[in-house]
Amino acid sequence: MVQPLSGQAIYVVLLRELKRYWRAKARIISSVAQSFFFLVVFGLGLGSFVDGFGSINYLSYMAPGVIGMGLLFGSVFSGVSVIFDRQFGFMKEMLVAPVSRTSIILGKILGGAATASIQGIILMAVAGIMGAFTPTIMFVAGAFAAVGVMLLITAGFVGLGVAIGSTLNDFHAFQLLSTFVIWPLFMLSGVFFPIDVVPLPLQVAMLFDPMFYGVELLRWCLLGAGTPLLGPLGWLISLGVLIGFNALMIGVGTYLFSRAQV
Amino acid sequence: MTGKGVSYGVSKINNIIDVKALTKVFNGKVRAVDGISFTVREGEILGFLGPNGAGKTTTLNMLATLLRLTNGSATVNGHNILEDADAVRRSIGYVFQDPTLDLELTGRENLDFHGRLYGLERIVRLQRIEEMLEVVQLTDRADDLVKTYSGGMKRRLEIARGLLHHPKVLFLDEPTLGLDPQTRRSIWEHIQRLNQEKNVTIILTTHYTEEADYLCERILIIDFGKIVALDTPSKLKARLEGDVVSLVFKDPAVIVRIRPLLEEKEWIRSINVVASGNSYARMSHMIQMKRGMSVGIGIGGIIPGMDSGSIGGRGKIPKQVQQMLAKGMADENGQRGRDEGAKCLNLLVDNGGHRIPEIVKLVDEAGVILESVELHKPTLDDVFLSVTGRDIRDERGSFMEMARRHRIVQQARGRRIRG
Ligand SMILES: Nc1ncnc2c1ncn2[C@@H]1O[C@H](COP(=O)(O)OP(=O)(O)OP(=O)(O)O)[C@@H](O)[C@H]1O
Ligand SMILES: [Mg+2]
Repeated sequence: MVQPLSGQAIYVVLLRELKRYWRAKARIISSVAQSFFFLVVFGLGLGSFVDGFGSINYLSYMAPGVIGMGLLFGSVFSGVSVIFDRQFGFMKEMLVAPVSRTSIILGKILGGAATASIQGIILMAVAGIMGAFTPTIMFVAGAFAAVGVMLLITAGFVGLGVAIGSTLNDFHAFQLLSTFVIWPLFMLSGVFFPIDVVPLPLQVAMLFDPMFYGVELLRWCLLGAGTPLLGPLGWLISLGVLIGFNALMIGVGTYLFSRAQV
Repeated sequence: MTGKGVSYGVSKINNIIDVKALTKVFNGKVRAVDGISFTVREGEILGFLGPNGAGKTTTLNMLATLLRLTNGSATVNGHNILEDADAVRRSIGYVFQDPTLDLELTGRENLDFHGRLYGLERIVRLQRIEEMLEVVQLTDRADDLVKTYSGGMKRRLEIARGLLHHPKVLFLDEPTLGLDPQTRRSIWEHIQRLNQEKNVTIILTTHYTEEADYLCERILIIDFGKIVALDTPSKLKARLEGDVVSLVFKDPAVIVRIRPLLEEKEWIRSINVVASGNSYARMSHMIQMKRGMSVGIGIGGIIPGMDSGSIGGRGKIPKQVQQMLAKGMADENGQRGRDEGAKCLNLLVDNGGHRIPEIVKLVDEAGVILESVELHKPTLDDVFLSVTGRDIRDERGSFMEMARRHRIVQQARGRRIRG
């Protein structure tokens, strides 16, 4: 399945994603607001009787997780939007063009990763304003690293979305997707509680959640530490897992997308 | 020896599309396209006519490499559609039957997207976009979001887009559906100009026979996935020797009575019933046919592959349509007045002008009131009727259009849900 890539095609599909994202202001606002409520209610609410972990208060602990939540939702949905492209017919316009499906899907993945990461950056700023992070030189460097991590996390999950979107054919599957894919990925990613304090079965489940490693990596970037369970090289392990997950998902997404007929 | 070789080579180049026993079976049972073979010369405009569900779109989708064929083979611009899909796609432009615009982009952005996807260089792209916007008269709306366009404007934009990259072969699937006569005419002119100046080969499907007659060098009529006629419009019409005499009755119920009397006359070569009423009447008629209720006469109204549970291909019958159908049924069964419009019998008659007195007398003696009699040379409508047994005016009728419109509305709703 080696198909020639067209830079122009990748670019134009990416551009379209960005334009559409930018025009859907309501969506941007609502998802930022949603994460904001999480930060306020859980961060400040739960935080008032949970002490935090070590030197990190609860709000700070939660912030990378909530950013991760924004990334996860944004990226999976933008991948799944291939369903909408098909429903609204625009997919035909792309598929009948003399460019490989791989180019189209790479554009889609890059576009989804970019838009979801923009979302992540906005959330990072919101959390920063709420005082979740300590503004040091180290943090600034970490924040830049975090943007790279965001792109890495989202690319894989857009791939997952594309894979799902290419398999399912209608909106009705949407509810299922949300309940059985996105929420479990989110809940098990260690947003609210650290992995080392929960019972073993839950721990194991969390270790199978790729989003867990994404959140871990974000914590390394933004807080300078991760869970003791993975040790001091936790960031490296997480990075490795994410890269593997990315390769897998982009591959599977591209394959399933190429196979789908109009 | 060499002469033969050369002529072979030339004919190969001349046939820009070569289709052999092309077949598509959906889900192992629906034979949408059933072993069709035809060729299209370079620079030709070929028209596809056929009832709803005949397999026109499916054929185009296979030629455009969007659908995988089940059997047979085809080449487009010398490239095999299976083995060399990329080269095929580089050779073609396709204006789809269903809307394929991005509603969240502006008209200009939709064209720009297309131009880039087809690798047009910046200067060429910008120039062509302006040119095409001019042709379809959308220049002043070019920077508005497409979701604010009217149906006709969207259609025009799609046509502009399909022409933007100057393809060698252009597929137009019902290009002028829903356009006003003026726009339709300007699109025709543009299609013709493109065909003549750029030597673009065109396959277009349509339910408007006057469109096919005006534009197409040859017409291919397809029914139940098979080719039932393929010739120039004039030859197709000439096949129906004689004249068409149309009898219009005030009371359509009398057709059942009068028909057997006419069938006895050996000089009447064929008799067809053409419904000309409002859309409710026609729609309720279709449903009756489907339910197997006898209506005595075979008005073409059955849409193959479209059962009442799957209008428009997806989902359930829209409520609106259901209500209209229910209304139609009630009218038909109950107190429907004679308001459904006159019905018409089309007789194919040798030397029609001379037979009219005889026909009128016959009808008169049967005690039936004639509203009017009309005599005309066979048109493509008559050809269509004679080879498919269906009235083409039914095929572009309200039913499908309503279903299609419903789907578009439904899609728009879906989009809103997503936010
Ligand atoms: N994706 C599909 N899956 C199953 N059946 C299909 C599919 N697409 C088309 N068909 C069936 O194939 C047949 C031919 O459909 P097609 O769309 O080619 O007809 P058409 O000639 O274009 O009709 P129309 O004039 O209504 O556009 C129909 O019976 C249709 O129901
Ligand atoms: Mg069609």
